[in-house]
Amino acid sequence: MHDSQRLQADLARVALGDRAAFQRVYQATSAHLFGVAMRMLNRRDLAEDVLQESFVNVWHHAGGYQAAAGQPMTWLISIVRNKCLDLLRAIGRRPTESLDARDDDDDAPARDIADERPSPLQMLGQASEALHIRACMDALDASHRQCLALAYYHGMSHAEVAAHLRAPLGSVKTWVRRGLDKLKACLDRAGALT
Amino acid sequence: MNYDRPELLDRLAGGYVLGTLRGGARRRFERLIAQRPAARAAVAAWEQRMAPLAQSVPPVAPPARVWAAIDARTAARAADRPGAARSAVGRRGWPAWLGPALGVAFGAVLTVGVVRLEPGLLMSLERLAQREQALPQSYVGLLTDAQNQPTLLVSSTRHGTRVTVKFLRPVAVPAGQVIQVWALPKDGAPIPLGVAPPATPPGSTQFALAATSDALLSNVPRLAVSFEPAPVTAAPATAPVFVLSGFCVKLW
Repeated sequence: MHDSQRLQADLARVALGDRAAFQRVYQATSAHLFGVAMRMLNRRDLAEDVLQESFVNVWHHAGGYQAAAGQPMTWLISIVRNKCLDLLRAIGRRPTESLDARDDDDDAPARDIADERPSPLQMLGQASEALHIRACMDALDASHRQCLALAYYHGMSHAEVAAHLRAPLGSVKTWVRRGLDKLKACLDRAGALT
Repeated sequence: MNYDRPELLDRLAGGYVLGTLRGGARRRFERLIAQRPAARAAVAAWEQRMAPLAQSVPPVAPPARVWAAIDARTAARAADRPGAARSAVGRRGWPAWLGPALGVAFGAVLTVGVVRLEPGLLMSLERLAQREQALPQSYVGLLTDAQNQPTLLVSSTRHGTRVTVKFLRPVAVPAGQVIQVWALPKDGAPIPLGVAPPATPPGSTQFALAATSDALLSNVPRLAVSFEPAPVTAAPATAPVFVLSGFCVKLW
C-alpha cells in the first residue's frame, strides 16, 4: 500500500498548486485507481477518461481533501468510483462478467482486462484476508456476499445483479440491504474501521 | 421521504457508496450530501468501510497518454486562466482546434438564426416592448458540454431576478458539489451568478440573481458552469474548472 502520510502531505501541496507533488500523487496511486476503474467499467478507453477526469478534479479540489475525514486513498478511490458510477449511469452500459468462472467470453471485443484477472469473489476474499475482516465477510450469506461483490467491483445496479444471478429483483434488493447492514454491524463491532 | 431518520440516512449512504443507489434517488441523495453534514458523515463512514475492499483489485498501469492529458489540462489552467472555459474541450483525444472551431461554427449558426429573426423583431419591437412583462425570456444561454452537446438552457427575463435552467441532458454532479453558474464578461474575471439545483431532463429548476439579469448580463457574451464544493459568492481566487459553457444572447 502507499505511504499514507506522504500522500497526505503531497495532497496538501497539490492544494497549493505544487505540480511536482501532483505528479508524485499520480505516480503513487494511478495504477491502483486505474485498476479500480478498469474493473468497474471493463473498458480501457472509458477507464482512461475517468482517470483523467479524476486527477483533473484532484488538482482543482485537493483543498477539499483536508475537510474530509479519512485516508487520502479512500478519498481518491471515492472520486474514481463516483465518476465510474456517473459514467455507467450516463451510458447505461451493463458490464458483464462471470462471478466465479469465465463462461461469458462471447462479448470478447469489449474486453481489455487480462485473462488472469481474479473474480470479484476472489478479490473480496483477498480483501477480507488482508484486512482481518474475514469473520465479518464469512458471517454474510453467500447470496449477500455475491451481491456486494458484484455491485462494488463492477458497479452493477440492483437490476444488473439480479440479471447476473438470475434472481428476482426484490430478493437482490433485500440481499444488498441485509448484506450492508450485517457488514456494518460486524465491522463496527470489530473496530475494523480504525 | 424523511431524511431525518438516521437509520434511513445510513442505509441510503451505504447504497450510495456501494453504487446500488441509482437514478433519481442517487441525485437526490447527492443534493442531500451537499446540504447536510449528517449525510456527509454517513457517506464518509461508508467510504472508509468499503475502501479497503478496493485494495485487492489488481493495479493496472495506465498508458502514458493519460498523464500527458492531465498534465496538459491542469498546466493550461494554471498558466492561462481566461482560457479556462475552453480547456475542457480537449477530452477524448479530440484535436485541440476542434473545440474552438465548433464553437465558431455554432456561433455562426446562432448569428444566422438571430439575423433571420431580426426583421420580425424590429418590426414589432415597440409592441413587444409594451408586452415585455408577458414576454417569455430575454437572456438565453445554451451551454454545451465538452463534446459540444447542448446540455443546459439558461434563461431569464430582462428585468427579472430569477434564472430558469432547463436540463437538456443529464448533468453528473460529483458527490458533495453544486452546479455553479458563471457569467463570463467580455473583459474581466468570471462572475458567479448562482447555484442551479439539479434536475432530471427535461426538467427545469430556478435560482435567484443578486440583481436583474439586465444589470448582470448585458455585457456578458458567454455563460459557464463549474462544479464547486459550495456556492461561490465572490470573484474566485483560482480559476474555476468549467464543465459546461456556451453563448449568452439577449433576445430583446
